[in-house]
Amino acid sequence: MSLFLIAALPFIGALLPGLMIQAGRNTCSTWTGIISLSALIGLLVHAPAVLRGEVITASVEWMPALGLNASFYLDGLGLLFGTLILGIGCLIILYARFYLSTKDPMGNFYTYLLLFQGAMVGIVLSDNILLLLVFWELTSLSSFLLIGYWKHLPEGRQGARMALTVTGMGGLALIGGMLMLGNIAGTYELTELLEKRDLIQADPLYVPALLLILLGAFTKSAQFPFHFWLPRAMAAPTPVSAYLHSATMVKAGLFLMARLYPVMSGTAEWFWIVTLAGLITMVMGALIGIFQNDLKGLLAYSTVSHLGLITMLLGFSTEAAVIGAVFHIINHATFKASLFMTAGIVDHEAHTRDITRLGGLRHLMPITFIISAVASLSMAGIPPFNGFLSKEMMLEAAAHTYLGDNHWLVPALATLGALFSVAYSFRLLIHTWFGPVRDDYPHKPHDPPFGMWLSPAFLAILVVMIGLFSQALVGGLVDATAASVMGNGAHPHAHLKLWHGVTPALYMSGIAVLGGLVLLALYRPANGLWHAVPRPDAKVIFDGVVGAVSSAAAWITGTLHDGKLTRYAAIFFVFAVLASWHAFTGGQGVTTPREPMQADIIPIIAWFALIVGTGVTVFYHRHRLLALVVLGIIGVVISLSFNYLSAPDLALTQLSVEVVTIVLLLLALNFLPEFSPRESSTARRARDLIIAGGVGVAVAALAYTVMLTDFAMPSIAEYHLANSYKLGGGDNVVNVILVDFRGFDTFGEITVLGIAALIIYGVTEGLLGSKVRLSLLERTPNHPVAGDEHPLMMVVATRLLLPIAIMVGVYIFLRGHNDPGGGFVAGLVVAIALLMQYMASGYDWADQRQRYPYHATIASGVIIAAITGIGAFFNNMPFLTSDYGYFQFPPLEKFELATAMGFDLGVFLAVVGAVMLTLESLSRLAYRRGDVPDEYPMDINPSRLPKSEDH
Amino acid sequence: MTIEFLVASAIGVLTAAGIYLILRFRTFPVILGTSFLSYAVNIYLFSSGRLIVGAPPVLQGYGDYTYSDPLPQALVLTAIVIGFGMTAVVLMIALAAYLSGGHDKIDMQDDDASEDRA
Amino acid sequence: MSHWIITPILLPTLLGAFIVLSVRHQVALQRVFSLVGLSLLLINALGLFVYAQTGDIWVYELGAWPAPFGIVIMLDRLSALMVLLTAVLAMCVMLYAIGSDWDKRGKHFHALFQFQLMGVIGAFMTGDAFNLFVFFEILLIASYGLMTFGGGTRRLQAGTQYVIYNLLGSTLFLFALGTLYNVTGTLNMADMAARIAVLEPEHTALLRVGVVMALMVFAVKAAILPLHFWLPESYAAGPAPVAALFAIMTKVGAYAILRMFTLAFPQDSPEIAGSYDVWLLPVIVISLAVGMIGILGAKSLSKMVAFAAIGSVGTLLIAIALFTPEATAAAIYYVVHSTLATAALFLIVDLVVSRRPQWQDTIREDRPMPQNGLVAAFYFAAAIAMAGMPPLSGFLGKLLILDAAVGNWWLWGAILISSLIAIMGFGRAGSLVFWKGYGLPETDAPAYEHPRQPLAFVAIGALMAGIVAMTVLAGPMHRFAIATAEQLYDTDAYISAVINHTMEESMAHEKEGSSYAPVDKDLIQTEGGERGTDHPQEATDGHEGESH
Repeated sequence: MSLFLIAALPFIGALLPGLMIQAGRNTCSTWTGIISLSALIGLLVHAPAVLRGEVITASVEWMPALGLNASFYLDGLGLLFGTLILGIGCLIILYARFYLSTKDPMGNFYTYLLLFQGAMVGIVLSDNILLLLVFWELTSLSSFLLIGYWKHLPEGRQGARMALTVTGMGGLALIGGMLMLGNIAGTYELTELLEKRDLIQADPLYVPALLLILLGAFTKSAQFPFHFWLPRAMAAPTPVSAYLHSATMVKAGLFLMARLYPVMSGTAEWFWIVTLAGLITMVMGALIGIFQNDLKGLLAYSTVSHLGLITMLLGFSTEAAVIGAVFHIINHATFKASLFMTAGIVDHEAHTRDITRLGGLRHLMPITFIISAVASLSMAGIPPFNGFLSKEMMLEAAAHTYLGDNHWLVPALATLGALFSVAYSFRLLIHTWFGPVRDDYPHKPHDPPFGMWLSPAFLAILVVMIGLFSQALVGGLVDATAASVMGNGAHPHAHLKLWHGVTPALYMSGIAVLGGLVLLALYRPANGLWHAVPRPDAKVIFDGVVGAVSSAAAWITGTLHDGKLTRYAAIFFVFAVLASWHAFTGGQGVTTPREPMQADIIPIIAWFALIVGTGVTVFYHRHRLLALVVLGIIGVVISLSFNYLSAPDLALTQLSVEVVTIVLLLLALNFLPEFSPRESSTARRARDLIIAGGVGVAVAALAYTVMLTDFAMPSIAEYHLANSYKLGGGDNVVNVILVDFRGFDTFGEITVLGIAALIIYGVTEGLLGSKVRLSLLERTPNHPVAGDEHPLMMVVATRLLLPIAIMVGVYIFLRGHNDPGGGFVAGLVVAIALLMQYMASGYDWADQRQRYPYHATIASGVIIAAITGIGAFFNNMPFLTSDYGYFQFPPLEKFELATAMGFDLGVFLAVVGAVMLTLESLSRLAYRRGDVPDEYPMDINPSRLPKSEDH
Repeated sequence: MTIEFLVASAIGVLTAAGIYLILRFRTFPVILGTSFLSYAVNIYLFSSGRLIVGAPPVLQGYGDYTYSDPLPQALVLTAIVIGFGMTAVVLMIALAAYLSGGHDKIDMQDDDASEDRA
Repeated sequence: MSHWIITPILLPTLLGAFIVLSVRHQVALQRVFSLVGLSLLLINALGLFVYAQTGDIWVYELGAWPAPFGIVIMLDRLSALMVLLTAVLAMCVMLYAIGSDWDKRGKHFHALFQFQLMGVIGAFMTGDAFNLFVFFEILLIASYGLMTFGGGTRRLQAGTQYVIYNLLGSTLFLFALGTLYNVTGTLNMADMAARIAVLEPEHTALLRVGVVMALMVFAVKAAILPLHFWLPESYAAGPAPVAALFAIMTKVGAYAILRMFTLAFPQDSPEIAGSYDVWLLPVIVISLAVGMIGILGAKSLSKMVAFAAIGSVGTLLIAIALFTPEATAAAIYYVVHSTLATAALFLIVDLVVSRRPQWQDTIREDRPMPQNGLVAAFYFAAAIAMAGMPPLSGFLGKLLILDAAVGNWWLWGAILISSLIAIMGFGRAGSLVFWKGYGLPETDAPAYEHPRQPLAFVAIGALMAGIVAMTVLAGPMHRFAIATAEQLYDTDAYISAVINHTMEESMAHEKEGSSYAPVDKDLIQTEGGERGTDHPQEATDGHEGESH
């Protein structure tokens, strides 16, 4: 079967359980089993070739430019792990079928399981280390789901998050390490990369890469000091613990070290870090394991310890050690998985995993007892079980290992570790199964159904068989695996047999067994001592760290984003000025400024008015009406100065915009409080003054420099001046620019106006649709409404003004192309005229007399403008290409019509519509309960005099 | 006193005023502040075409005339219009916020933040 | 001549106006028109994307005015990609808005949506600096409307802040444009680039100020610290579909930086070196950190996603600010991913909000919501993508960026560590919101009821499908990204595309001029009279009347 298919099968299969669960739990589990079984078979058909030393590969490009490809290869190491993953996978699937209760969603479980299985297979088959990374992280994610499978258990959720955080951290470190490795070697393909040992180890990046990669491996394989997450992960359902935390996932770290062994090992850094981490983990894990009362907890720490053992062996970097490591990987997988499953059975039957509440079970559940006994003895390293053989190898290797020039430390500690593991193995055996039958089990245990003990039994048989016929059964596999671990064309040969003669190892394991039994005999005092001695609880530390990080994050986030715009704005101004100043100083200013113009009295007066007005506004800004009025004056002054500085169009626009703006602000002020309270402290005001002053000075300086600098290059405006009439057909260059040269800007600009009106309308609707409406109806205005709401004079004046204003508007509109004016100003003028009607005679009266669909006006404005532009398509010119000609209707003098006018008409409509819609919206807010729509244009009216008393 | 100096200092003063008002706590002064800022920036943008008196960019037919730079004027015109739209919108939104929130503070108040969203 | 380059801008405009004009009271019709319009836009964008594959740059001179005197619309690989991305995103978001009935909660949703698209697409396609400002304003004002859409105190107050902060940004933009025009005397981006390249050193001071101001404006859009403060509150308070659509808005800022600072303001050019390069990367790294920290520190899901958006843009901008073709290619791959993932997360959060009437998106346990499993699955996938975990495109993008940043180990540290914080944050939030509820004691209160909203899920599914496609087709995508980056750094081609275009156009369309003689001789002679004159560089070199 193609390697692709082997790796893909579990992922594809992951879709099945979710569907098959509809057909019942048996169908669901059967199909899941079929998936991984077929994957296993697909793998095993390659076994003969691989054992002959061949390498099966399969590759397809994914991101070649990055060096990430979907390339797989199968060698001894891959075969070993693949077999473990898929084989034990099948057993677990069978076991889980009986373990999971009817309440548990089985479909999800098998889906997660298959996802995880696929990820693991992917890791061990990857030829590309970036691809390996992908699968690596996938195991973290899928195990997160599996550990948190029992969502309702807090331990489950916390354990899942802890595992995700720790292994996630390792994964990120691994990303860094792998990228470095690939950059050193110039390739991410393992098959090529593994050839480059010298190149890699000579590179300065070797050490950082090594550290990062080991960080990844250690976190995954629960090596000290990252061991603590594994016992917490025991909250997962037992099949998960048996699968992930004994046989497969925790071995991914070992796999990684073994995989990169050819290029990473053999250096002092490798030896010291790996050996010490392994050694410490082995001893410490075993020691803690002794005193665990939770069956799974004990097994978890024992797993930690055994992983440490294997890591240490890899650290030794000798052939014998590697063979021992490989062999122990097999053995540990067999006996530990079956132990986990038996522990699960006990839990399942007796409803407790607490050793102190168990004991004497051997009579009640004999089958389970036998399985567990075999596995425990193997774990203790008792002959003739397979655990014994690999432990012998470990001790043998340890006996020949020097730490620096110290030759006894490693052997001694190794023996100690073995001693501890004997102790906890026997504690598991004796305290659970031997002793008198008790009558206080939470639930009366008995042997489980056949299907449930089948898997552990099968593994137990393996334990025995491998112990007895090791060479015949797994010799070849161990050789092939060791060969691919050693790499560099090494051909290690394992001599697996029970009896090696009287070796140091034999003495050491003898000491271990005896010492272990003695320690167990002294369990009570030892236990007391153990609990008396204070020691750091990794979970507490981890939670402390995570808690600290989280609260720090919350604090930073909260204080930084406290919703205070005043602070945000201050930061904005300061940053802008500093950055600009820094940029300015970095460059070079002009040496020959242009000649400034002397100002006569008028501009000086205007300037003075402006300054004073500004000062007044700032000083009295809490008096809002006053501030507003002065603002209007300032606007007028500015528009006058525009006119003075030869920008008549600007002057007109500024003026008309000013009027409308002020009117809008006035209308709004009608609802807002009249005064702002004095809220900012003196210090605060000082700070703001400094910021404001600073920015002001900076801007003034910038403006001054700009005005005294000549263009570095001829401005494109020269072209506009030159061609405004000739090609644009207008004398008023500004207007031609607006409607022609840069008509697209104007097109956008009127759209903006239209959108603004739509928003205002929408917001108003929203208000009137909400609870706000009530308070609006009930509100009392800031001022008592004057008896004379619509003063006669004003009404009359505005009536007279309306037609004039509209004529003026039309005039401005028509002359726009050649003289200051244009659609925009015209629109504003007309809008103002209409607006006056509203102000004079009240909204209702005016509205009854002029019903314009303002939405439509805006929209048609935009559309007309667009259509005029699109018209150009038809004589095959780009959007907005204008055309014009001259017409004469007697008695009128000859005048010009340009398509630009159609465009200008659009502008005109959009402006009128936008302003009026805005005003309409605001006035609709103004209704109060009891307002009678007054159908009269003015209050003073003879026909109403009799009624006028009830005013 | 040169015209350039007058204009530059006016820009500076308007900017400063605008910024000071924007740093106030209530929406209304802040909106006034934004208008000040847009005055300032409009004049600045205008002045980037250099100042010249009595030479509007309206072509005078034949002969040799100097004209003020029309391009910045057109840009400022666009900017003024857009600025007007923006002011109207921010005014309306601020007004709505005041009417439904009961206060016109510009800074988020904690009790508002906790309020459920529509 | 073909006009398909301008239609992506005109179509939404006309459609928006049309909706206002004719169907502003019938939501059902609005939906129909919106979807039809978006489909057309999608097709149009696809066409342009395919065209851009040829590698040549399409210059469209509005009003037939020769660049740099008129406004040009430009299409190259980058802008084509961004337009396509916008169209795809818009379609998904619109489907969600319809599926979740968001568009019924106020007035003019569809019109504003279309105008928003007009602004965004215009910003991606314009070749003129001031026109860029105009489109920024369009997309901003439309976003003001959308952000406050549906009302509500918190949203309106956040909206006020959002508008005012962006008004400051717009003001700064005008300052920048004034300064740049003052130095270079032009507004066309390509022309500006050409002129800056030959600028005398004595003008660099003002130029640098303009450049840095422009950078800060774009930084506000892209939400780079310390100019990002507008984002968290407004994205969290705004309507979810709008927040999702806004996923493209931060990218507008990123795009503008990428465009302007590869074309006109390269950090290694002597005129500009040292003006911003000294602080740009550091502040980006800080904003990356703040964003990712926010994921862990946020109290509500929507805030969390808002910060995730900041962090994601931070990652993107690291790649951009390296200003190497390799890093830019990484950025171009990542920008698509980041947009889709951010949008998906915002929509998923909205699913949660609408299904947890009591606690909404507060990160704490609540009784399992309707469709908990499905929503959780979506969240899980989107969070993986956002945090840059395998196997999704986020991981690939991160690999690309790291690979492009080899040697800048501090950037590696920042990216990797911040990813860890993000993972912790997403994990925490997910297990609290989706899992912990199962641990609550059984209550006899009736379970929450909620419509199933299949269309909403389809919309999110489409976004996720996009992410998956990015992952599977990573190879071709990356190849395209590389080509795009090369095109970006081949600035001469871009500039000459504008200028040469002008030359060949110059003969093309004569317009029957005025009846009497030209107005101002010398000006005309120095500038070459006919519409479609030579580029000033040529025009001012004394060959008067050549083009007459």
